[in-house]
Parts: sequence; structure tokens; C-alpha cells
Amino acid sequence: MPVVDVDPDELRRLTGHDEKDDEALKEDLFALGLEFEGETEDGLLQLEFAPDRLDRLSVEGVARSLRYQYGDDRGVYIPDTNDADWTIEVEGSVPDERPYVTGAVVRGLDLDEAGLESLIQLQEKLHATMGRKRAKGAIGVHDLTMLKGASATGASGGRKSIRYTGIEPDGETFVPLDSDRELTPGEVLTDHPTGETYAGLVADYERYPAIYDDVGLFSFPPVINGTRTEVETASRDLFIEMTGTDQWTIDRMLNIVCYALDARGGRVERVDIDYPDRTLDRPDLSTDRKTVGHDRIESLLGVSFDPGEVVDLLERAGLDAVAEEDGTLTYEVAVPPYRVDVLHPLDVVDDVGRAYGFNDLEPRYPDVGTIGGRHERSRIEDAARDALVGLGFEDMLNFHMTSEAENYERMGLDTPSAHDDEVTPDPDAPLGARPPVTITEPYSEDYTMVRSWALPSLTMVLERNTHRAYPQDLAEIGLAAHRDDGANTRVAERRTVAGVLARTDASYEDAKGKLQALCRVFDVDLSTPPTDHPSFIDGRTASIVIDGDEVGVIGELHPRVLVEHDLELPVAGFEFRLDALR
Amino acid sequence: MRRPETEVALLEAASATGTKTVESLATELDADPTAVTNAAFELAADGLVEVEAYSAEAVDLTDEGDRYREAGLPELRLYRAAVDAGAEDEAVSIGELVGAAGLEGPEVDIALSNFARKGFGDIEEGAVRVDLAGGPDVDPEDDPEAGALAAIADGNAGYLDGTVLDRLEDRGLASRTETTVRSVTLTDEGVTALMEGIETAETVGALTPELLTSGEWADVEFADYNVEADAETDYGGRKHVLRQTADRVKDVLVGMGFSEMEGPHADAEFWINDCLFMPQDHPARTHWDQFALDVPPMRELPDDLVAAVESAHREGVGADGDGYHSPWTEDVAKGVDLRGHTTSLSMRYLSGEQVGDLDPPQRWFSVEKVYRNDTLDPTHLLEFFQIEGWVMAEELSVRDLMGTFTEFYERFGITDIQFKPHYNPYTEPSFELFGTHPETGEMVEIGNSGIFREEVLGPLGVECDVMAWGLALERLLMLMYGFEDIRDVHGTLCDLDRLRTAEVVH
Repeated sequence: MPVVDVDPDELRRLTGHDEKDDEALKEDLFALGLEFEGETEDGLLQLEFAPDRLDRLSVEGVARSLRYQYGDDRGVYIPDTNDADWTIEVEGSVPDERPYVTGAVVRGLDLDEAGLESLIQLQEKLHATMGRKRAKGAIGVHDLTMLKGASATGASGGRKSIRYTGIEPDGETFVPLDSDRELTPGEVLTDHPTGETYAGLVADYERYPAIYDDVGLFSFPPVINGTRTEVETASRDLFIEMTGTDQWTIDRMLNIVCYALDARGGRVERVDIDYPDRTLDRPDLSTDRKTVGHDRIESLLGVSFDPGEVVDLLERAGLDAVAEEDGTLTYEVAVPPYRVDVLHPLDVVDDVGRAYGFNDLEPRYPDVGTIGGRHERSRIEDAARDALVGLGFEDMLNFHMTSEAENYERMGLDTPSAHDDEVTPDPDAPLGARPPVTITEPYSEDYTMVRSWALPSLTMVLERNTHRAYPQDLAEIGLAAHRDDGANTRVAERRTVAGVLARTDASYEDAKGKLQALCRVFDVDLSTPPTDHPSFIDGRTASIVIDGDEVGVIGELHPRVLVEHDLELPVAGFEFRLDALR
Repeated sequence: MRRPETEVALLEAASATGTKTVESLATELDADPTAVTNAAFELAADGLVEVEAYSAEAVDLTDEGDRYREAGLPELRLYRAAVDAGAEDEAVSIGELVGAAGLEGPEVDIALSNFARKGFGDIEEGAVRVDLAGGPDVDPEDDPEAGALAAIADGNAGYLDGTVLDRLEDRGLASRTETTVRSVTLTDEGVTALMEGIETAETVGALTPELLTSGEWADVEFADYNVEADAETDYGGRKHVLRQTADRVKDVLVGMGFSEMEGPHADAEFWINDCLFMPQDHPARTHWDQFALDVPPMRELPDDLVAAVESAHREGVGADGDGYHSPWTEDVAKGVDLRGHTTSLSMRYLSGEQVGDLDPPQRWFSVEKVYRNDTLDPTHLLEFFQIEGWVMAEELSVRDLMGTFTEFYERFGITDIQFKPHYNPYTEPSFELFGTHPETGEMVEIGNSGIFREEVLGPLGVECDVMAWGLALERLLMLMYGFEDIRDVHGTLCDLDRLRTAEVVH
């Protein structure tokens, strides 16, 4: 979840509530859903919140929400904007992978250190969230006075323009931020720390995105800006550009930045975006419209409202609403352009609920009757588990994920290859030896696949507990799976029943005795014809055949397996499919 | 009369005219003093003997005292060696005498200081001279401390002078402890019984089938066991503590009218994420959060549903609904993952895929494993059990959701549940549920809940309300029983002792 660092003094100043001490602010913030996580070294409050209200990624946005909460502001606020003086011309050479751009000018700012910090934080937080680490949207903020506009052509003729274009990786040089050398975009990716971080974003691009003014290249989105237009506290007028893979996303990111700078006393000036086939007027600060039924609000919240009350609550949430009675009572709701989380009228109902105070709602038990019950699979599993526990087994719970080493090699099996396009397992393969379901990008080398049988897990528990009292009779019922492209998911899952008897005199007979008892209480027919299995001692291994189907294996674990697991006593064990007991 | 063997022997050995201590009787009968004491009490209970108890002081030699009893006190050994070396006439060097007296280590200092204290002679400039002129009581041949050592060893400490005993205790050669001495006197009834004759009952160790079938059991006495001693613990088998907790949760849910769901652990992202209206570029859909499997795409997804879900993602649902401005491809939807939540099962059930179309009202649950690519620590595992539940009805409100969960958590002793408004891509409104930790008193998150969005339910063909919630079973276990490290019980790193001794869940 996003965390935003907020200066409490700034918050007091921007809300106009000097009387609130830090504790009072924290309480008010918690009510908004911003949880206090701690303080930075500089005494900023670290606030964590759910990633829906991305307009709260800076102190300005948090202050705006607080003012609505305090009742200082009501309804939708739209900043006034000046007419466009600048144009961004989008050229045909712009990389296909990153076709969209947007922008705005903000004039008359008086940014102090805190204001500049806040802007930089907002930029970073938007990159991390909506911008999907700059892949979907990247922000560049420039000192407008350092830009030299070319004379715009076409529809915007007569005004100043910059160009969004595409260039060869080494087609131009500029001095990027935090550098004192002229580098080509290609060199930035290999020689500059920021370049290295974001190189992956443009690695597959034939041409690199680039923004030019009349002087030359000044920005290499989404990687880095040039030093020429770097913003400082002395900067009064800013040019903000954003590029990305989705117009709506960068437009909304731009709106959030414009609202923040408006709160800092800046004056937003629109910018024309000249695509070859159309011109956009940005920022787009028009409201979105949702129609919400009165009945839906009442039924979702479980509360009766007067229409006036609903309108009041919506305005306290920073929305505008008009009640319309046309057979049914509905509300035409206007949603401000910094909101990115309102997709459906339902989201407006949520705002009503928050403004009303969810914790003021009285819980009630829904008056509908249903008949409950357990699934057949879990009933059988439970019955088998109870039977095993009654036979003296300690019920174990192991991870379903394991490694090839544990699942195959340490048990004396060869690791089968699973990387064929179509995998059909050998029906005669020994239990556990079927091909693995592997994890694409494993977290650690201990968890690289789903176990194909459970006996290795139990053997590992024995290995871990050699200092504990014997006998150790362990059993587990759980998932095992192997790769099978005959299955819809490509994964053949089954519940498996495994048991081991570890004691100084453990023998095949002991294991068979337990298995017989288990089969008897489930009224199934057991036979154990001899077989071979690399994990077990030859001549002391049998297939488990239940009601005519071969479903598992039983035997004495091979000394090779025991020694591999540092076990100094014999172990007899069995494993078979749970559904054989049905 | 028929009495056990020990009691008969005790009666015969006891006297009506004089008392005998239990200890002396035990020596006389060659029996264990505890057994004799027990027998005496049995007889006293029937009035055949009288048992008197008084406290006495027992004096025992320490190991060092016992050694000196045999080898002689160091100062006496020094005295004899000095006499032999002619030290009565002229001083002999200590070095010469130490070897002759067989003194070793600290014994040298002990010998010298006590030699001087007892007035056996003088020690000057490393030489010893014997001079018994200290007084008439100085007699190395009849040393009271040496005599006391012998007397204690013979059990005659009672006759010793207190100051000598004090001295031996100071020297660490003897120790005194309070003991209870019991003495036994035969009563008149005891005498009568003896005169009438008493049969000895046989004492047996184990009850055998032969004893039972022959009827001999009626004529035997069973040897006493030490019933207070610890036996070797027999652990038997137990259901895993987490399974017990799951059973408890299932009991509660079935009692509240919920039916159990079942479905695949490896499933298409479609069921795990897309149906839940999670945009395909959502940060939680990267491999950092979920386990993608190295297998080809899912073979089949229901075409109509795929189209409806794609439309919800792209266009939204309803007249003025908006979609996401994120890419959406069926290829991504068909990728197979280990499920990160069992909400994938809820999607399968709600869609009608699993058990056919469902009409309201419905209540369903599952308590099954899910897989998250998270950091392993005491409270997080790569796989854990998720409790998943949902309720379908014509009209549900936030109040119904609150009522249901209040009811559920009360069954686990959590009565102060709080609802914090939250955001999930798949529910609106959404709430995090908080409750007080029984041990620490802190407010901790105990679940996540909400009412499914229309973008979720619309494509699934559900035309009424569905509310849902989820939480980790492990968290509930830790809250209920104060477990601190979940790795002790779940997984192959588990400690069998911990499992064998974990408190039962009920």
C-alpha cells in the first residue's frame, strides 16, 4: 500500500487549522483511512493508505481531503486555467510503444524547500502507482524559463512549441540530471545510475522517446530529464510533460499534479497537444458524471435517507449532486477530475457511506436461511485423518511446495524433465516419479515445484526431529500434483495419504498392519503385490491395490534414503490416493 | 487373619514391651525401610501396633569426613610422621614430613593448622617440632574428633559431645539433618492376633490371566507401585493443531448455514484475478506476489464468460460505468498460477461453472491453502490457509455484512470487532476487520471484507448482492492461542515436541 510522507506544519497551513496538534491530526487522518506508520528522520508523518485515492499522494491532496472532512469545503472544486500559450507537437517518429503525451504549464509559484520536496515526492509516488514504475506513465517537470519554444506550426500556429519525437539511441547528446557530461540516450542507459534503473523500459524500442525545444534535446522520457531545465526553489513557472502508454492515465496523473500546484498558489495554463490526427486541450479538468439511484444507496448501506441528506453527504465527500425525481429518485453526481477511483455508481455509494460514517451503522444478521454442510472430499479426508490418528499417527501438515532435490533426488528418484511442450506422464512410473509442476520464478531454491508425493515431506520431518522421542509415527493427508497436459490446468492434482513408522524395529509388517486397519474401516479391498521402487528396499516393497486399482506403494525405506536423511533407524511407510477410500 | 508378608514379619519382630525404630526393624527384617514404614501404618490402622514419631537429628559423614575416618585426620598423620622422624627432640622440615604422612594438596594446610590448634607442637620457619606440653587433655592417641568420625560411621553420633560435632561440621567433615524417627510397639490386639495365628498372603507383581482364571487373585496381595513417579509419556497420535483450528472454523460456518467449496490449487489467472476485476497490470499480479507455473496456458475457459470479463475490464459495467485503462489479453488470463486466494473458488461457484447456477439465498465457504510469494518470517509463510466465505441474497447491506462477521468472530471470543473502510479492486464498499489481540491488547487486522462489485458479479451472471470476506487461519490460531512462530507447527521445519504438546483446540 502507498505511503506518503507529510509535514504536519504544512498540513496545518494548507488546511488552515493551526489549532490541531499532531495527535489530533493523526486521529482525523485515521478517520480518512490514512494510517500513521511512523515518523521520518525530519519529523514528517508517514501515512499509509489503500491505493484508491491516489490524489492523496502529497500533502496538498491530503489537506484537501481533510478540509472536506472538516466541512471547510463542500462540493466539486475546479481550478481556473489560462489559455494555452504552448503546444506539444507529436511527431510521427514517436516510438509506437509509447505514443501518448500530455502536459500543462503552471505559473507564479513560490516554492520553498518543503514545496519542492512535496512536488518531487508526488512525482515519485505517482510513478510508483498509476505510472506502474514509469512504464505506463512518466512525469517530467521543467523550469519553463529555461525552455525556448519553437514557433508552432499547423493548428497552433503562432505560439510556442516543444516536440515529442523518437530518435536513434545515439542520435543526439544532452547532459542528464546528476551528471556533468554530454551523453547520448544510449549511453545514459549504460553509464548513468538512473539510466541503468530504467533501461528495461526502453530496451526493446527501436527509437527512443525524446522531447526537444528550440535549443535541442532536454528530456529523455521515461528515463531522465536534462540538467538545463532542472527545477529549483527559485523556479517560478513550470512546464509539466507526461508520456505513457495510455492517454487517460497520464491525463489523470497530470490532473493530480495540477491540483497540487494550484493548492500551492500556482496558476494552471493549458497546453495544446498536437497529434498528427487530432488536438487535445490539456489538462482536462471536466467532471465525470455518475447516476446513482436513491434505492441503491439505501439498500447498500441499510439506512433510510432524505434526498437532502444524501446531497449533503455527497457534497461533504467533495462531489456535486442534483436529485432528480423521474418515477424513481436518482442523483446526478459530478466527480472531480483528480479522482481516479470512481468507475461505477457503486463507488459514489461508498463515498456516501464514508461521509455518513460506517462505524455509526448498526450491525444486523441477514434474515435469510440456508442449510450448511461439508464437501464430500473434505469429509472423507477428515474421516481418514481421524482413523490414522486413532492408529497412533501424528497428523502432519507440510508445505505443498518443495524442490527437485527433496522430492526426487534425496528419495533416490531421477528428476524427470518437465519442459516439453506436451507432457503426458508415464502411467507405469513409480509413485512420486512423475514430471514436476515447476514454479516460473521461484522465491528460493527450497521451493521450486509442487510436490509430486508426500513421503519426502514426512522423511524431512523425521530428519528434522532425530533429537525427539521415538517412536515417531507420522501421517499426512494433503495435496500432491504432477504435470499432465491432459488436464485443463496442465496440472493433475490429487489428495494423497502418506504414513511413516520410524522406530528401532520398524518393519514392512508394521506398515501393512496399519494400512490393513485403515482399509478395513473404509470397507475397501486391499492387496499388495510385490513391486520395485527406488525409494524402498527390494523384496520389501509392494504396490497398494485398492478395489482392483493400483493407487500407491508400501515398503521399508531404502537405507540409502535413510542415511541421506541422517536417520539411524529403520522406517516403514506407505502412500496412496485418498480417493481410493471412497 | 491374613496379612501381607512384610506385615506378618513386622508383627513378629515387634515387641510389646519395648519400642523398636523402623530403621532397626528394617535392618532386622532385611527389608526396605519405606516398605516397613508402610506396613507399620497398615498395621497401626487396624490397631495391631502403635507407631510413634519423633524428630531426631541424623549425623552423617561427608565424603571428606569418611576419607579421614579411614586414612586418619591429616593433623594426626602429621603428628605420627613427626614423632617417627624424631621431631620430639628437634624440629624436622615440613617438606620431609609431608611425604611421610601421605598428605596431598589441601591436606597439607589442613594438617598444619589443626596440628597447631590442637597443641601438638610448634611450627616455625618451615619446620615442625612435637611438644605435647600444651595441657593434660592433649592426647593425639585419643583425639576426640577422630573418635567422633568413627562413632558417626557406627551410627552412634547420639552419644557425642555437641562441641566436637560443631567442630566437625565447621571442618566440613560431618553434616547434621533433622529426620523423623518412627518407633513401633506391639499393642495388646497385636499380641492377641499373633497368638491366634496370622497367615501370610502372597505378594505378586502383575495380575496375570492365570491368576484371574484360577481364582488365586482372591488370595494374593499386589505389590505397591510408586504411583507418584512419572512414567514415560505416550504421545499417541494427534490431529494437527492447525487442522483442529480449521475444524473449529468449519463447525462454526456450517452452523451458520455455509456449505463448503472445493476446487483446484493450480488455476488460470482468469479465475484467480481477472474475474475479481483485478487489472492485468495491477502490481499484485507480478511474480513478486504470486507463483506462476511453468506450464502451457490453461486449455479451456468458458468463452462467454471470458468475453464478459474482458468487456468489464475494458468498458466497465452499467450505463455510466468505466473500465480500466489497462491492457487486457486472454493470454494473460490463461496463464496458470498457484492460487493466491481461494476467492478463485468463489468465482467458479458464482459463475455456475462448479455446481451449476445458484439462486439466492446462498452461503458458501472454504478453509484451504493459498500461495503467496511473500517473505518467510514468523508470521508469514509461502503457503497458508485462507478462510473464505460469501453470502448471496437479493439485497444485502453493509449492516448485514457487519452482523454476519460480528456473529462469526464472537464464536472465537473476539467481541469488539471494528470495521475500517478499505479499498479492494473487487469489493465496494470494502472493510478491513480489526479485533483486540488476547495477549498484547493491540488492535490487529483479522480479516478483509466487502460487497462484490458489479464489475465482478455482472460478468458472472449474478443479479443479486454477494458479500464476502477472507482471513488467514494461521492468524486466527495465533490470536486464539498466542503462537508466536508459525513455522514451529506448519511445514517440514516443525518441531514434533511442539506439536505433541500443543494445547488442544476446542
